[in-house]
Formats: sequence, C-alpha cells, structure tokens
Amino acid sequence: MKPADFAFLRDFLRKESGQFIEENKIYLLKSRLEPLARRHSLEGLEALVAQVKARPRDTLARQVVEAMTTNETLFFRDKYPFDALSTVIFPELMQGMSPNGKIRIWSAACSRGQETYSIAMTAIQSVPSAERHIRILGTDIADAVLAYAEEGIYTQMEVQRGMPVKQLVRYFEQHEGTNWRIREELRTMISFRMANLIAADLAVGLRMHGPFDIVFCRNVMIYFDVEDRKKVIDKIAQTMNVGGYLITGTGELVKGEHSQWDTQRFEGRPIWKLKSK
Amino acid sequence: MTQKVLVVDDARVVRISLGRILKKLGFEIIEAENGKEAYEAMNAHPDIALVMLDWNMPVMNGYEFLVAMREQERFSENPRVIMVTTETGMPSMLKALAAGADEYIMKPFDESLVCDKLDIVGIAYNRE
Ligand SMILES: C[S@@+](CC[C@H](N)C(=O)[O-])C[C@H]1O[C@@H](n2cnc3c(N)ncnc32)[C@H](O)[C@@H]1O
Ligand SMILES: [Mg+2]
Repeated sequence: MKPADFAFLRDFLRKESGQFIEENKIYLLKSRLEPLARRHSLEGLEALVAQVKARPRDTLARQVVEAMTTNETLFFRDKYPFDALSTVIFPELMQGMSPNGKIRIWSAACSRGQETYSIAMTAIQSVPSAERHIRILGTDIADAVLAYAEEGIYTQMEVQRGMPVKQLVRYFEQHEGTNWRIREELRTMISFRMANLIAADLAVGLRMHGPFDIVFCRNVMIYFDVEDRKKVIDKIAQTMNVGGYLITGTGELVKGEHSQWDTQRFEGRPIWKLKSK
Repeated sequence: MTQKVLVVDDARVVRISLGRILKKLGFEIIEAENGKEAYEAMNAHPDIALVMLDWNMPVMNGYEFLVAMREQERFSENPRVIMVTTETGMPSMLKALAAGADEYIMKPFDESLVCDKLDIVGIAYNRE
C-alpha cells in the first residue's frame, strides 16, 4: 500500500470511528478492505481510497468504516459485569424506587446484541417487575450488526458461547433450522439505534433515551488511542446520572480528562461510579 | 491434583477430539463407549469430577446412564454432567436438565465453547 493511501485511511478511520490503525496493522486494512473494493468492482485499495477521498459522505465511505470494525462478542462476556449488576448495582438503584421509576441502561457498542440481551436477562432475574422499571438502549456504529441485534436471531454456536443452557431454554425459542430467537418479553424493554461514540454531539443524540444510570462500554475503546478514550469517557459522563455506574472492558481503563469518577472493585475488577458532572 | 473427566461417546473421533481439548486444559481423561461402560467407570473412579456425555449410544444411552447415576446418593450432585450431543431440540434439553445434567453442548463444539461451559459449571482448568 502506498504510504499516502495508508496515511489517508488511518486519518479517515480515526476521525470517523476513532479506530486507530498503527502501521503494523496494514494487513488488517488489506484483509478487510480488499473484499469491499472487489464488491464495488474497484481495482485494489488505491481505487477505493480515491473514491472515499472524492466522496467521504457516500455509502462506500460508511462501508469502509463498518468493514474495519471488529464485531466479535458473546453472551455474558466475562461474567463479572452481570454479577455486579445483580448483586450490587440493581439492588442499590432499586432502593427507594417509585412504582413507575426507571433504571436506564445503555449498552454502547453492542455489536450483535449479545451484551444488550444479557443485561435484559440479568434484569428480569434480579429486578422485580423488570419490564416496568428497566429500559435498555443498545447502540453501535455499524448498521449490519444493529439489524442483526434487532432481529434477535442467533446461530447454534452463538447461543451457546458464554450462555448457560438454563438461560437458553428460558429466554429463547427455536427458530428455523438450527437458529434460536430471543423471546418477546426481553425485546420489549430494549431498543436499538445507531450512535457513534466519536461524534461530538453524542450526548445530544441520546438525550431522549437518558439520562443513564448504567453504561456498558466494553471492548470498543481498545481500538481508540488514549486521547479519544478520554474524550469518549467524558461524553459518556454527560449522558449519565450522578451516582450511575460505568463498566468498561478490563484492558481499556481511563478516567477521562476530568476526575469525575470513583473506582469501586467488584471481584477484583474496577467499575466506575460517577460522582459529579 | 489433576481432576478426572469421563468422556462418554460411541464415536471414537468424538472421544479423541474432546479428549484432546480436555487434556490440554489439564484433565485426566477416562473414556467410555456407552452408558453401561460409563456406569462401571463411575463406580471404579467415584472421584470423577465431570462427565462429558453423549446422548445417542448403543447398549445404554446417555440419558439412561444419567438417570441411573444420579439415583445413587453419592452421585446426586457430583460429578458435574455436560451433555455433548446432536440432540438439539428444546424438549431434549429440558429432559436432560430435569434428570440432573448441569450443562448442554450441541455438537459441533470447539475449545472455546468447552471452556465457556466449564466456567459455567464451575470446574477450574488451565488457562493459557
Ligand atoms: C468487539 S465489539 C464489542 C461488543 C460488546 N460490547 C462486547 O463487549 O462484547 C466492538 C463493537 O464496537 C463497534 N464500534 C466501533 N467503533 C465504534 C464507534 N466509534 N462508535 C460506536 N460503536 C463502535 C463495532 O461496530 C463493534 O460492533
Ligand atoms: Mg452418539
């Protein structure tokens, strides 16, 4: 790849999605973008770059961003965040809750929805009348995974990864072939929509769904550089209620520019509590 | 102390591939080809911590073995039992759970899936 093309893609991706590609990851650009170029009958990455340069707001440019995302996920990933919800966070937030009170939860970068539905299953099991009190928003930058999450149909392998069979028989029904479909009772407390964590107006776009009491933002900031991580954390704080909890992935800890956060430990892993705005 | 796992399947290829995964995770493997052999293995090695159990087998199937084993007081909770089967219907799952299975793997499986299920049933293994 020409150095100028690499530099263009690196800057473009960083600006559009926060994804920071270092020079030793050029193979990733190739393996993910060459198939896209081929589908558009473009000859190689050079032609693809030229198109994106000429029309940075076109579908193709969006597809470049989307093709570069890593969507791997599983139900109840790492387990501890969901144990923290049921044993610490939900009990605390439910205290003194009025009959129509709401706990608003945001699953930021939800990929195919496994995280979002895992939160919903945990809520149903640990919050009385969860369907009345719990609202969950799942967002992602990529349209394809959002459509998948919305549909709620998972493959045999997906429903087994990370998920106890007891949850499978309780919250899913068999669908066509070997697929499984999430039950309606879980879907009613969830909505999905597009949101880009890097967008300057992130908080504005989410206002009607918030303010949030709990935010899951996991395994996405690992792709951002430290500056962008700090900015994202600060923007997340703007969308939250004071006293709310943020759970990140274990390898992506940053406190943000402003020290608005208290660290608590749950089973040795840090979770964040917003102490001021 | 190495924990013992009983791998029960009438298909040799399955016993080999599952055995290989579990050996890598640090377990000692005992094999059985059907429920009857598995029952004998349990009585010969009552300290077996986990049974990876196929359903469809000649002589005595996995479900019959499970019921018979759990009837013994000393096996009513341990060993843990993970079904590993091509039976993928919800009714089969419910039936196995009611008979005392702890987890359920629909074939095919791979190492990550086996690890996920070990985590769920609370059996420790060597992580890389
Ligand atoms: C590895 S998945 C993580 C899914 C889930 N949170 C988990 O922990 O398993 C990362 C997701 O982040 C999304 N993503 C990447 N950049 C993003 C951005 N700037 N805004 C929102 N989502 C983004 C990707 O599309 C992908 O679905
Ligand atoms: Mg068989």
